[in-house]
Amino acid sequence: MILTPGIIARLAVLGSIAAVAEVVCFSKMDVFGTSPDVVLLVVFSLGVLGGSLTGAVVGFSVGLLMDCLLLETLGGFALTLLSVGYVAGRYRETVGRPTRGAVALLGGSLTLLGALVIAAIQIGTGVEANVSFLVVRDALVKSVIGAGLAIPVLLLVRLVVRSALVDERRGAQRRPTAPRPVEP
Amino acid sequence: MYRKQVRRRRAVLLLLVAASLTLLSVYYREGNAGPLHGAENVVSTVFAPIQDVSNRALKPARDLVNWFHETFDARGDKAKLEDQVATLRDQLAREQTQQQETKELSALNELTSGGIVPNGTTPVTARVVGRSPTVWYSTVTLDKGSSDGLRVDDPVVAAQGLAGKVTQTTPNTAQVTLITDADSAVTARVTPSGATGVVEPNVGNPNDLQLDFLERGAQIAQGQMVVTAGFSTGDLGSIFPPGIPIGKITTATVEEQQAYQRVHLSPFADLRNMDFVKVLTTHSGSNSK
Repeated sequence: MILTPGIIARLAVLGSIAAVAEVVCFSKMDVFGTSPDVVLLVVFSLGVLGGSLTGAVVGFSVGLLMDCLLLETLGGFALTLLSVGYVAGRYRETVGRPTRGAVALLGGSLTLLGALVIAAIQIGTGVEANVSFLVVRDALVKSVIGAGLAIPVLLLVRLVVRSALVDERRGAQRRPTAPRPVEP
Repeated sequence: MYRKQVRRRRAVLLLLVAASLTLLSVYYREGNAGPLHGAENVVSTVFAPIQDVSNRALKPARDLVNWFHETFDARGDKAKLEDQVATLRDQLAREQTQQQETKELSALNELTSGGIVPNGTTPVTARVVGRSPTVWYSTVTLDKGSSDGLRVDDPVVAAQGLAGKVTQTTPNTAQVTLITDADSAVTARVTPSGATGVVEPNVGNPNDLQLDFLERGAQIAQGQMVVTAGFSTGDLGSIFPPGIPIGKITTATVEEQQAYQRVHLSPFADLRNMDFVKVLTTHSGSNSK
């Protein structure tokens, strides 16, 4: 990803909108007893499109904003989304551009990773109450929803940052021009 | 060139992880007046109007998704509700007979208790504008804050019963920790048996709460109501006024009561879908309702 000031501003706006929409809208939706984690998928998409460094930095920043919006312990969501962005970026750098199936699988797996990191932070900071097995169900359902939403979210994010993508530029340069009709 | 890139990538990753862990650690150690809490409050205050506007604008989209879920649920609930209607019809007949007696008792009760809103508190109506997306942090954000008279530890009630308490405030927003949060504990009393205990969550299951630390031999049965105890001993006192409905006993097996001194209840308040709550403030703000 080519990071110009314009693209950085675009990423900042995209991250802020995703964080606000997650807090005020997606987290209040009830889909099979849980809510879709769209902000995580936005960070995942940016990791896949921009690489590990972009994914990690965007994940950290969006996570920090989420912590502030929810008045939660600073660093919790930041660490979670930083991990997701970094792993998604590393996949792209080591394996290459993922296929649609791989995007869905990665989206689901990283949603599960996000749930695990949050759980680890909570357990690490001490949970005195009983923990229900429904936590596991919640994480699994969330990851299935994540797998289903990964492709549409990636396509949407790609639209926003399209001009900064190296692949898209190369593709545009290679695209053959339509042959002109031969004049009689 | 490649090695330089790898080194840079690793350095940035380490820096960000270290920053996250430092933030977590410092945030836990510092008090509510610490610089990190202050910075968080500033960001939250700046985004509060955006959250409020977005919340209203996105409500139709949210309602559409929830409509599908509720339709599925409603199909399953139909048979259950028909049974309940039959039972309630029988109960109504009995209740009407007892009504006359109850009226007299209620008049007596009103003399001794002033309802669930204690004297000196002002209920402030607030809109729920944000919700934590994980089951681990069972918190919501309100569109009212310290400038409306909200203070930390103020009790929060939803339409059907107790919702939680205020745990953080900014001038325009407040964080409410729900009774389903891992950190929540509320002293409660079972009615009519009078047994007391502490209501604690079952993290991950918002429809199940536990009433722990019950005295052995307490007579508790399924269907009994649990309300806040609101005890006070000397300088110590519960932040929740007595008599706020919390939930209904769902499982009260003798074995669990004997072994763990515990029963299960489901909360009255629909904590996942509430849009408005009332905060029982003790300090009235400039525009409290």
